Amino acid sequence: MSDKPWSEVNLLRPRKGYMGREVLITVVILIGWGGATFGFQLLQKFLESTPQGENPFTRFTFFNLPLNVWFTGQFLPLWFVFLCLVFNLYIDRLTARHSQPRFPYEHE
Amino acid sequence: MNMNDLQIKFVPLGIVVVVLTSFLLIGLLYKVRESSEYGLGGRSIGRIGSGAAIASNWMSAASFLGMAGFFYLYGYQALACVIGWTGGYVLLLILLAGQIRRFGKYTAPDFVGERYDSPTARLIAAFISITISVIYCAAQFKGIGILFGWLFGVPYVIAVTAGAIAVISYVVFAGSMGVMKNQRMQYTVLIISFILPLMYLAKKLGYFWILPQFGYGAALSQVSPEFRINFTLPFAGSSLFQWSALCFTLMVGTAGLPHVLSRFYIVPNIRDARWSVVWGLFFIALIYWSAPAYAVFARLLEFRSGVAPDPVTARGMADMIVITAATQGGLPPWLVGILAAGGLSAAFATVAGLLMTGAASCSHDIYAGILCPTATEHRKMWVAKGCALVLALLVYFIAVNPPGLIVEITAVAFALAGNTIFPAFLLGIWWGRANRQGIIAGMILGVLVTFATPLFGRFIPLAATIFPLTSSALCGVPLVLLVTITVSLLTPPPPERIRRFLATEVHGYPD
Repeated sequence: MSDKPWSEVNLLRPRKGYMGREVLITVVILIGWGGATFGFQLLQKFLESTPQGENPFTRFTFFNLPLNVWFTGQFLPLWFVFLCLVFNLYIDRLTARHSQPRFPYEHE
Repeated sequence: MNMNDLQIKFVPLGIVVVVLTSFLLIGLLYKVRESSEYGLGGRSIGRIGSGAAIASNWMSAASFLGMAGFFYLYGYQALACVIGWTGGYVLLLILLAGQIRRFGKYTAPDFVGERYDSPTARLIAAFISITISVIYCAAQFKGIGILFGWLFGVPYVIAVTAGAIAVISYVVFAGSMGVMKNQRMQYTVLIISFILPLMYLAKKLGYFWILPQFGYGAALSQVSPEFRINFTLPFAGSSLFQWSALCFTLMVGTAGLPHVLSRFYIVPNIRDARWSVVWGLFFIALIYWSAPAYAVFARLLEFRSGVAPDPVTARGMADMIVITAATQGGLPPWLVGILAAGGLSAAFATVAGLLMTGAASCSHDIYAGILCPTATEHRKMWVAKGCALVLALLVYFIAVNPPGLIVEITAVAFALAGNTIFPAFLLGIWWGRANRQGIIAGMILGVLVTFATPLFGRFIPLAATIFPLTSSALCGVPLVLLVTITVSLLTPPPPERIRRFLATEVHGYPD
């Protein structure tokens, strides 16, 4: 282990190969996570049409619930499960691909 | 409080005793039969089982009682808890889980001490972890006190005292007998005890009961116009900032909580660790989809009976609302007993886990690490036992006069974890240049930021605005990261040994 070439770990400047792909999927999932969670609240604020805070989402009913309550309270947790699923499937494939030659540094 | 509240509820009490005792007995049998928590039924069952274990480790009085209470009071604002406490697992999975497993240190003090090569940083992390445990436990004690008060029909102070004695005896007994926690079974009991009464309640009130998680929607639209608090409008009682700040704080707190991180120690490899998070998150979501339904049914029952409590009374009874909804809704006593047993077993298990890790940290990181490095194992064990009692007393004194709702007390623990432990792990894993000076400055700042409102709020009103006590991490985490990075860059880099380990092992080969 001691004489392996190495370079400083930095999230903003990942090494090419495995770590680069790992950071890429992490950023994609982070965008999906933050966009859906905070983006949706921002959108509600942006579309607010009355002083009480009504917006188009509060007027629609979906699965028995006002659309905004359904989206935040029911859909988002499911969305998080989905994001984790995508992340794991991607990392599993990435790991399998990089495990075969066993020398990730020689890639790319 | 009506007369009924001052009586002992024999049937529910019996069920609570049976459930808690059977946990102990099965734990003892289980210990004899099998020592590994990881199942024999193959890989996929192992992962689902580990997921259930993650979920039951997570479920506490805050999930079981607090969340519904918060929704009962604040409606949409409380969905920030649902999202914060599920979305945090996404952060945990994509940023930390695999790498922590490869780093090989699973408690915050161990990780911080090793990664930053500093006994001082380790000591600070230990104090922070212990403080998080104490605050989190105080919220559990409040939950236990409320349930005991209802079961025995006694005032809160007596109930919380009795509850404290009961839970400490439980912890001591379980600890001294070496009871194994069967967390898969515990999760099964929790989910049934939460959903079954809710289905019954939905059916009784005339709503779609097969999936009460959706059935409560119809009740929501009936309730909303009748109360001053509108349950469905997003920012009726709060602002976009307050919602986002609470949500973000609970998310980063989840990814920095000591007893959540240490779960990855039990899972045999990185791949299973990652997949068990997905299952764990799904199992947690099952309960969180249902919690608001209790709150809405409670409001509906108030509306139907024509007595709506004023805001102060409502706040006083909010943490009790799951039980209130069940009793007012006319559920049979045995079913309410099952509900109470679920809440109590969640709180008992959480207290046991937190007190034990807190005490271990006192003994391992502070006593053996700093005060008396030559201490024998026997002595360390006695110190741990003593510390558990001291911590329990501390928790009790906070809980006798609880400073807020269960969710609010819990949120402070999350804010502290998010402002200190989360940045330490994030930078420790993803930036080789982060050093001990940086992280010490960052963690101290994190503590100050968390308690900025009580510390500086009176002199600097702005501090209370941008760092609210329950939700300080939205502005706190970026600030802590910035300071840690700046201080790290101004001081020498950490030893090459650590940076190399990070590059070649933690981020080197895939497993």
